[in-house]
Amino acid sequence: MITSFFLRAFDGKALLFLAILAAFAIAIPAGNLLFPPDHALHVPIYVVSLLGKYMCYALLALSVDLVWGYCGILSLGHGAFFALGGYAMGMYLMRQIGVCGVYGNAELPDFMVFLNWKELPWYWYGFDAFPFAFLMVLVVSAVLAFIFGWFAFRSRVTGVYLSIITQAMTYALLLAFRRNDMRFCVNNGLTDFKDILSFSVQADGTRSALFFASVAAVAVGFVIARAVTRSKFGKVLIAVRDAESRTRFLGYRVEHYKLFVWVLSAMMAGVAGALYVPQVGIINPGEFAPANSIELVIWVAVGGRVTLVGAVLGAVLVNFAKTWFTGVFPELWLFALVGLFVAVTLFLPKGIVGTIAQGWSALRQRRRSVRAEAGIDEAPYSGEASMKHQAAE
Amino acid sequence: MLPLKIILFALFLALSALAGPSVSFAADGGSDLRSLINELAKGSYDDTERQIGAIATLGDEAAMPALQALGTNDLMARKSDGIVFIVKKAGRNYELFDAITGEAAGEAARRDMERIRINNRLRRAIRSALGELTLMSKNPERRMKAAEQVFKARDPEAIETIDQALQAESDPEIATLLRQARAAAVLNSDASEADKLAAVEGIKERGDQEARALLASTADASEGELHDAAVMVQSHVEQILAAWNAAQNVWYGLSLGSVLLLAVIGFAITFGVMGVINMAHGEMVMIGAYTTLVVQEIIRTSAPWLFDFSLFIVLPLAFLIAGAVGVALERFVIRFLYGRPLETLLATWGISLILQQAVRTIFGANNRKVGTPSWMSGLNEVGGLTITYNRLWIIIFSLVVFAVLVSVLKATRFGLYMRAVTQNRRMASSMGIRTPWVDALTFGLGSGIAGIAGVAFSQIDNVSPNLGQSYIIDSFMVVAFGGVGNLWGMLVGVMTLGVVNKFLEPYAGAVLGKILVLVFIILFIQKRLRGLFALKGRAVEA
Amino acid sequence: MIAQASGSVLYLDDVSVSFDGFKALNSPLVLQPGEMRAIIGPNGAVDLTTLDEVDIAELGIGRKFQKPTVFESQTVFDNLELALKIPRGPFSTLFHRRSEPEKARINELLELIRLTDRRDELAANLSHGQKQWREIGMLLAQDPKLMLVDELAAGMTDAETAQTATMLKEINKTRSVVVVEHDMTFV
Repeated sequence: MITSFFLRAFDGKALLFLAILAAFAIAIPAGNLLFPPDHALHVPIYVVSLLGKYMCYALLALSVDLVWGYCGILSLGHGAFFALGGYAMGMYLMRQIGVCGVYGNAELPDFMVFLNWKELPWYWYGFDAFPFAFLMVLVVSAVLAFIFGWFAFRSRVTGVYLSIITQAMTYALLLAFRRNDMRFCVNNGLTDFKDILSFSVQADGTRSALFFASVAAVAVGFVIARAVTRSKFGKVLIAVRDAESRTRFLGYRVEHYKLFVWVLSAMMAGVAGALYVPQVGIINPGEFAPANSIELVIWVAVGGRVTLVGAVLGAVLVNFAKTWFTGVFPELWLFALVGLFVAVTLFLPKGIVGTIAQGWSALRQRRRSVRAEAGIDEAPYSGEASMKHQAAE
Repeated sequence: MLPLKIILFALFLALSALAGPSVSFAADGGSDLRSLINELAKGSYDDTERQIGAIATLGDEAAMPALQALGTNDLMARKSDGIVFIVKKAGRNYELFDAITGEAAGEAARRDMERIRINNRLRRAIRSALGELTLMSKNPERRMKAAEQVFKARDPEAIETIDQALQAESDPEIATLLRQARAAAVLNSDASEADKLAAVEGIKERGDQEARALLASTADASEGELHDAAVMVQSHVEQILAAWNAAQNVWYGLSLGSVLLLAVIGFAITFGVMGVINMAHGEMVMIGAYTTLVVQEIIRTSAPWLFDFSLFIVLPLAFLIAGAVGVALERFVIRFLYGRPLETLLATWGISLILQQAVRTIFGANNRKVGTPSWMSGLNEVGGLTITYNRLWIIIFSLVVFAVLVSVLKATRFGLYMRAVTQNRRMASSMGIRTPWVDALTFGLGSGIAGIAGVAFSQIDNVSPNLGQSYIIDSFMVVAFGGVGNLWGMLVGVMTLGVVNKFLEPYAGAVLGKILVLVFIILFIQKRLRGLFALKGRAVEA
Repeated sequence: MIAQASGSVLYLDDVSVSFDGFKALNSPLVLQPGEMRAIIGPNGAVDLTTLDEVDIAELGIGRKFQKPTVFESQTVFDNLELALKIPRGPFSTLFHRRSEPEKARINELLELIRLTDRRDELAANLSHGQKQWREIGMLLAQDPKLMLVDELAAGMTDAETAQTATMLKEINKTRSVVVVEHDMTFV
């Protein structure tokens, strides 16, 4: 059952995408590790980490696309799940510092010693073990998503109302994590990491491995998302998106579907956050800022929602542009981002990938109608139909 | 430099408004008083006593610090020129302070200064002079203030003076205060238990923070009957205090709610008529606030005498500017996104960021203080309630705006069109109403009112580029909470949210308060939101 | 308002439809299996919105709306598949594989509602009448004991109306149908 579920995800297009990912995952670390620094094919380590960061964003974008593109839930709070995953990983990394910290205290992370805390708060227990921390990455995001979703979907909060409430959720978490008594190292966040799984996070090899893991996570996330959306479950999701009450009349418990995909998406976002933290070396409450969550929605919109590849591409392209822009015209980035978004919503409502797919199928359509005119049956498709069909895939 | 000037000017205004008469009075009598104080150092005890009497007859409160210093042996004359200073020991030297203004006047070696000596007779004279200046002053306001101070001082030695003052007092309100002050002094003295019991009863009516503190310390220091009585009265006072505190919270909540009301009305109208959630709505509030800032700055540099009327110039201007920005927003962006609410949400959010960034670039990211006209500053105490005039004006103002808006929607042709478009866009359009035109104007109206809200906001808080952000979630909550169908529902919703917020704050902290309200709304959002003038029943389903 | 009385499919008691004070209908309505009834009345005469939608589906009543709501971005085939009466929980759909009987049933329904040649077309591109048929197909896919059909003929061409009437008669061979309509020729 499980295999057939996953097998559904693999068709020509998916395999092509996965092959590109695989090539990417191997080429970049190889470029860093195999070629000497002065070689033309050498990839500097900061580029590896930067690309690794993009991959985390890509996974995050996939998770947003899953709920927004396929189920019509525009989450403006996905940054919260990302940050929670990041915090869980950050706590593990803090515990790994051990005696290597400034204070050399094996029991307490530096900032706790600095703030005069006598013992480890209970919710830090267990984070010195990687399996537990990794479990928490999934569980914490999932639990928050479940509680939130359970109330919100049961109350049939939809559309913009849901969006605003998700934003309020991440805003509330931002305020909560900024409070001193939460004991998550207040404003400075968790940083100065040393080791992950007893490999130094600074080492080239570790960074390449983290990059590889990020690409692998994107691949896994892609396969899961594709398997889900191509199953009958995915058809129900689209039905919910297009006509929620009609779906309910068919006897589907819409809130269960939404809850499932919502929690799945939150877990993906959590994993993205967990991979992100060791690569950038810090996690602080700023990650909960509503602006972050909205920005990542823009990646998806630009890349093209309802196309999983589009989400990945959008995240990478927009962040590449951001890196470039903030280097050259730091003040103008915000204007560029918003301008890009407004332009895309006004002129490319399907996003980049969606528009390309649409153009391609229109081309195919024309060929088919030429064939039809040549004497076969009346073409059952109209141009618009196949466009929408394509988007629905 | 600009903000500093603004702040200084505002300060000056506030000071002159608060203390106008007394400042000029002090300036006139200053030289006279100073010579009298300098005379204190001369002659015998008898001469000094006469001088004290003369100072008391002058009736200038400015003499009080010098007289008090004299009573505590801190008044000295400089040997070189005979000028009298209030002194404070600083190592081997004395720090000198002006006897009237209390300003620091350098230091002097011990041997350069001579203490003005006093005896018990003089001490009594000083006390009665102080009493005369304060408790028995001709000015009732000053008497009242003095009685308050005496109450706080709880000085047993003041009982005599208070009794004198009580005999002379004709104002019943001040007499009550004096009796309470006397009771406080008695409690602090070694008077008999019966006297103290009576005093405890006397404190009862006061029911404020000082009374509570006084009773608490009495209860701690006594036992038996007095202790019980003090504890009982204390709990009584605490109840009164809690009630006043609640009233104060309601007051703050209402004033918060009325700024929110102005911010929300526009939000709700655009939401109701067009189904658009305008995330940049908070920025319209910000634009209004910055309009106030700019206009005040211009007035200050070119026509300072206009300052008190500045708000009357600002209000229409803020309405027009914010309204124009709103219309532009609708024409150039939102119009293309009708029927795509999620994209509208995102696009308007993006525009809000751009507006913030633009204002930050022009005016800087700091908080800026906007001046308050004199007629809006000051406060009044009603029982345990502190009513500041700016909040009072804002409540009145927002209710007026609300009333005007209600009548515009009910009685004008534009209001009729708006309601028509809200209820059935296609039908309205086929009846010949130009719906795009209605949309743009509605957006302008909503944004304009937000601009006015910004003017009101600038009168109670600092102005900063991101002040609008916090309003969006609040606005949304109000629409969720009270906007089940009409303006009145929203009025109730706004006020309730304002008050609830204020009540939750001290108990749960602002953060937890927000989270609680959030959870509350998620739980109770069952009724789907429709904005203003929503349709009910089957038509909604279509 | 709705209860399943013994033997009958639908038992409506205390039905009162007042329209501007005029009582349009005020009598118990009992429907036997396999019966076809038409209620002639204005818009909204049969208003089941008070019942939870899922409950209606589980009671074995299929309700068709006057305005067809289709899943526009999915094909006719998908639309019918979504409506099939098979387990509808998230996990059963997640691991669901389309079986041969299901496929056969869908094709049979497509035949009945005369949409076989448009099975792979997006639902959005059907004509109004075809959307109504697809709606009926979706109702039938749920295999209800009773069908409530609200103003079916409104907006249809005459040819479509005639075809619809034949279609409903075919359907009525196996289940009860309540039609709410004000087009008398159709009734």
